[in-house]
Amino acid sequence: MSNLHIIELSNVAMHFGDKILFENFNLVINQNEVVGLTGYSGSGKSTILRIIVDLITPSSGDITILGKSTADWDPRSLRRTLILVPQESQMFTGTVRDNLVWGLIRQGESIDDDALNEILHEVKLDYMNLDDDACNLSGGEKQRIAIARALVMNPKALLLDEPTSALDEKSALAVESVLNDVIQKRQIGILIVTHNKEQAHRFTSRIIELENNQESN
Amino acid sequence: MQFDFTFIQTMWDSIPTEIQVALGRYAVALVLLVALLIITKWQHIRIGNRLIIGTVRGTIQIILMGMILVYIFNLSNIFVMFGVLTFMAIFAAHTTASNLNKIPGVFRASLPSLIVGPITVMAISVLLGVVEPVGEYVIPMGGMVIGNAMTIATLVIDRMWSNAQKQRNLIETALALGASSFQAVEETIRESIESGLLPNLNRYASLGIVSIPGLMSGMIIGGANPVVAALFQVVVFIMIFLSAVIVGLVISRIFLREMFNDRLQLTVPPTNSK
Repeated sequence: MSNLHIIELSNVAMHFGDKILFENFNLVINQNEVVGLTGYSGSGKSTILRIIVDLITPSSGDITILGKSTADWDPRSLRRTLILVPQESQMFTGTVRDNLVWGLIRQGESIDDDALNEILHEVKLDYMNLDDDACNLSGGEKQRIAIARALVMNPKALLLDEPTSALDEKSALAVESVLNDVIQKRQIGILIVTHNKEQAHRFTSRIIELENNQESN
Repeated sequence: MQFDFTFIQTMWDSIPTEIQVALGRYAVALVLLVALLIITKWQHIRIGNRLIIGTVRGTIQIILMGMILVYIFNLSNIFVMFGVLTFMAIFAAHTTASNLNKIPGVFRASLPSLIVGPITVMAISVLLGVVEPVGEYVIPMGGMVIGNAMTIATLVIDRMWSNAQKQRNLIETALALGASSFQAVEETIRESIESGLLPNLNRYASLGIVSIPGLMSGMIIGGANPVVAALFQVVVFIMIFLSAVIVGLVISRIFLREMFNDRLQLTVPPTNSK
């Protein structure tokens, strides 16, 4: 079981009417592996992440998560196993605490404040209070809360969609630093979508370019 | 040739006195309508045709309805009364779907919810003795309950749909965290029920001081004791709120099927899609 693929995409294609977004796309992510997915703007990188978590269905191809086809997964279980952190981190109305536990309490689980503070520490937001209003946070803070919100659920893999593209340089560096620590500390699979190839090289062991579906190490 | 006016006089005399008085008032009110038409014409407010057509059509409709109500009241059959309420609920569901004709599946969601909510509340109210099982009470009160439920139904569907178009990212963020379709939009549902109830909550809070609502006014004009009318008005408000909340909750859950597929994927097209 040690070499079980967390995510496996075979010959996946996405068409919108007559327009072909991509075809014959293949991807394998193993446990504890950090993979980058790059490509020009509009090539369908974010679409691939949404396909993986079954937010949209591809035109054709097979998607297997932990050895099971996505069609056989309960969509809610699938999305708790692999968590997508979207490009523009959206905060739900309420406090930082409300946002951190949002997914967890909706599956009937709970977590205490000490554990939440530990996760805030992990994303380098020690200065933040759990009672702070989440909607008043900066872009970089929201992005780190979104990552923390995903980590709270102990996923098998994180899917990060352009985690720093909407941020200024300082905030982007802070998020990169958090991601580095997460990669080191958490033994989970990570797929990072980025148009920034340098960033992809800094984090990942493997890069897949969507344009030609080629891999580089 | 001489015209025999005694025929007209006989016809007029055959009409009950109270209707004669009402017709007299109606004729005088037409003078006000003429004044309104002159003002709107003078100020280029383009509602003249609609006022004339509305007056003619509305008068015929409401007189016909009045005659039907007299017939139903005379039947004194509770099943017939609830049949009329069901017809009103079906018409309300149709109206909701017509008002939101750009949104798919509205009738499928509004019909069961507008039947379940108001009819259940009316049935319970009759069973508990809150509402007398006579047509004079059941039908007008049912009409008010159904009318308010229709407002809530329209608002809930409209908000759910437009928020799904405008806040796709937030809904997909929720889904990506393992939310159910209801959990992904529950805040929108709550807000739309709250805002749909707001006008009535305002009237409720200012009851008797700022506003004397329709039912209470009608009862007072009809000669009822104002205290009796006031208490009845409170009862109606409670029935309206209960029915509206039931309709909001039921319609939102049914309408989720139009917004999400079995894979819990958002199927509402974005605003810019054709």
